[in-house]
Amino acid sequence: MNRTFQTRDGRLVARLILLAHRFGCDYTELAVTRNAAVFSVSIDFVGNAEALRRLDAQISKLLDYEKEIA
Amino acid sequence: MIAQRLANNGARRVLDTLVAEGVDVAFGYPGGAIMPLYDALYGHDLRHILVRHEQAAVFAAGAYARSTGRVGVCMATSGPGATNLVTGLLDAMMDSVPVVAITGQVKTHLMGTDGFQEADVAAVTQAITKYNLVVRDVSEIEPTIHKAFTLARGPRPGPVLVDIPRDILEAKISGTPAPQDGPTIANAVRESFRQRFPAQAEEIARAVEMIRAAKKPLAIVGGGCRAADAFAEYRAFCALLGLPHAATINGLGAPTPGDPHFLGMLGMHGWKAANRAVMEADCILALGMRFDDRVTGRVDRFAKQAQIIHVDIDRSEFHKIIPAQATIHADLRSALDALTAALAPNPPRFDAWAKSAASHGGPLPRDRAKPGMMSATDVLDHFFATAPPATYVATDVGQHQMWAAQRSRPLDPHHFITSAGLGTMGFGLPAAIGTQIANPEATVVAICGDGGFQMTLHELATLRRYSLPVKILIIDNRNLGMVRQWQQLFFDARYSATNLSDNPDFCALAHAYGVHAESIDRLNDLQPALERFFATNEATLLHCACYPEENVWPMIPAGAAIDEGIESLAGESLEV
Repeated sequence: MNRTFQTRDGRLVARLILLAHRFGCDYTELAVTRNAAVFSVSIDFVGNAEALRRLDAQISKLLDYEKEIA
Repeated sequence: MIAQRLANNGARRVLDTLVAEGVDVAFGYPGGAIMPLYDALYGHDLRHILVRHEQAAVFAAGAYARSTGRVGVCMATSGPGATNLVTGLLDAMMDSVPVVAITGQVKTHLMGTDGFQEADVAAVTQAITKYNLVVRDVSEIEPTIHKAFTLARGPRPGPVLVDIPRDILEAKISGTPAPQDGPTIANAVRESFRQRFPAQAEEIARAVEMIRAAKKPLAIVGGGCRAADAFAEYRAFCALLGLPHAATINGLGAPTPGDPHFLGMLGMHGWKAANRAVMEADCILALGMRFDDRVTGRVDRFAKQAQIIHVDIDRSEFHKIIPAQATIHADLRSALDALTAALAPNPPRFDAWAKSAASHGGPLPRDRAKPGMMSATDVLDHFFATAPPATYVATDVGQHQMWAAQRSRPLDPHHFITSAGLGTMGFGLPAAIGTQIANPEATVVAICGDGGFQMTLHELATLRRYSLPVKILIIDNRNLGMVRQWQQLFFDARYSATNLSDNPDFCALAHAYGVHAESIDRLNDLQPALERFFATNEATLLHCACYPEENVWPMIPAGAAIDEGIESLAGESLEV
C-alpha cells in the first residue's frame, strides 16, 4: 500500500512509521522532500491486508487533523 | 515593573488566550519551567485549581470536560510534571474527551541537551494524543493554542498537548489576543460539526430501508452520544420506533431514565437482556460506539444474525472490528435527526419485540456475602436508590465500577463519569473534583474501590483546600477485586499480589486531611449512613467494609462469545 501526501508537520512521518509497527505492518520505501514549509511524503507499507486497511484509515484521520487547523 | 513584565509576555498571552477560548478554570501543578506561567496566574482572572499530583490535574480536566462538554484544561511543568500527565492524556484519548494540556519546557537552547527536568514530551505523547504542538516563538502562542482547542473539540474530541519552552513564556510580545466567543464556543462548535458533517441522503435512505425491513432491530449507543450532545435526539428516535436499546458504558445516560425499552449496559458485565438482544437482533444500529472488545466478546460470534448500520463521525471506526452493511459518516445529532425525519411519516413500531427483549432481563445475578458481612452490591443498590436523580457519579476502576455501571441510570451521559476505554485506577477522586468544580451546585459522588482510592487519595487535600463537597463512597473488599476475581476464575485461585488486607484506616486518613468520614460494616447501618452522606454539604467519606470474595456477575470471559456468559462460580450458563 502506498500513501503519498503533503504535510506541514514532518514529525507525522515518524508517527506513521510507529503506527505501522503497532498494526504489525512495516514500510519498504520512504521518500520525503521538503519545499519551504511543506513536506511531500511517499511511503510504501506492507503487511496483512486487514491491518493495512485499518492503517490506511488511521493515516487519513491523522492527515485530517492538519486540515482542521490549516 | 512587575505589571509591565506581565502585561506583555508569553505567559500572560497563554492565559489571555485560554480565557478568549472560554476557559474558566485550569487544573495544574507548578514547577521550574512553567514558573513564568504561574507568575502570570497570580492575580489573573483565570481560576487555577492546585492539585497534589499532575495526574490528578489531567483526570480532573477530563472529568470537567466529560461533565460539561467543554474543553478541560490542565497544566504542568517540564520533565516529570509532563510525564505525569501521560496516563490521563491516554485516558482522554481512549474515551474521546476534549482536553488541552499546557506543559512548560526547558529553555529553547537547552532542548536536546538532557537539561534538568527535560523530557521530549512531544515524542512521548505523540501516540497518545490527537496532536501535540511545540511553540518555538512567542508570536506562535496564540495561534497554537487556538489550534489546540480546535483539534481537541473535534470532530471527534480528544486530548491535545501544547509544549512551551520557558524562554518563550518569558519573551515579550505586543498586542492582545483577538476576542473570541468565550463560553458560547462549545455550543457553537458542536453546531458547526452538525453543519459540517451532515448525514448524506443516500446513507440515510439505505439505513431507513434496513430499519423498515428489520423485524428485530436494536440500537446500541456509545460515547459518541455524549460527545455530540445527541441524547435528546437519541431519545426521540428510540421513542418514535418503540426500539429496544442498549448502551456501552460510555453511552450510559443516553436513554431516557426509566425507559422500559432500555435493556441496560451490554458486554462483558452487561445485562442478560442486552446481550441476548444482540444475539437475537436482525439489525443493529451502532450509534457513536466503536465495538470495543469488552462490548463484543468474541468478534466472530457477535450479532451474527444482524445487519449492522454504523453511525460515527470518525470514518476510521467503520469496519475496524465489526463489518457494517451500511455506514453513516456524520455528526450523531445530524444522523439521528435525519433518520427520525425520514421515518416519522410512517414509523415502523417494534414494541412487541422490545417487550420480548426486555422480558429476558431478570435481576442481576449476584454472590451472597457470608452471614454478618455486607455485600458490595447491597451497598450500591441502596446507594442508587438513595442518591438524588441528578447526582453526578464518578467511578474509579474495577469491580465497583462494573457494579455501578450495571445499576446506574444517569440523568444524561454527562452524569456518569468513568474511565472506560483505558480503565485507569486512581481516576475516581480526581474526576469527582473536576466534576464538582464544573458543577459547583451539584451532588457529586466518587465511588472508589480500596485499591484505586489509594492511588490518588492525596487529592483529599484538594477537597479541603477548595471546600469542595465531594462525597466519597469506598467499597472496601480488601482486595484488588477484579484481578482477584480473574485469578479465582482463570488462574486456579492463585491469588498473586491482590490481597490488601493490610489496608490503612481510611477514616483516619480522611480525618488527617480534614475530611469527615465514617465507616460501616453492617447492612443495618447502611441506610442511615447513606442518608447522612447525602445530607451533608461538606466533603465526606463513607467507608464500607464489604465481603472480600464477591464477584461481578454476569461475566463474559475474555475471548468468549457474548452468549457464553457465566453468572456464578459454579459456571452456570446464562442461557443467553
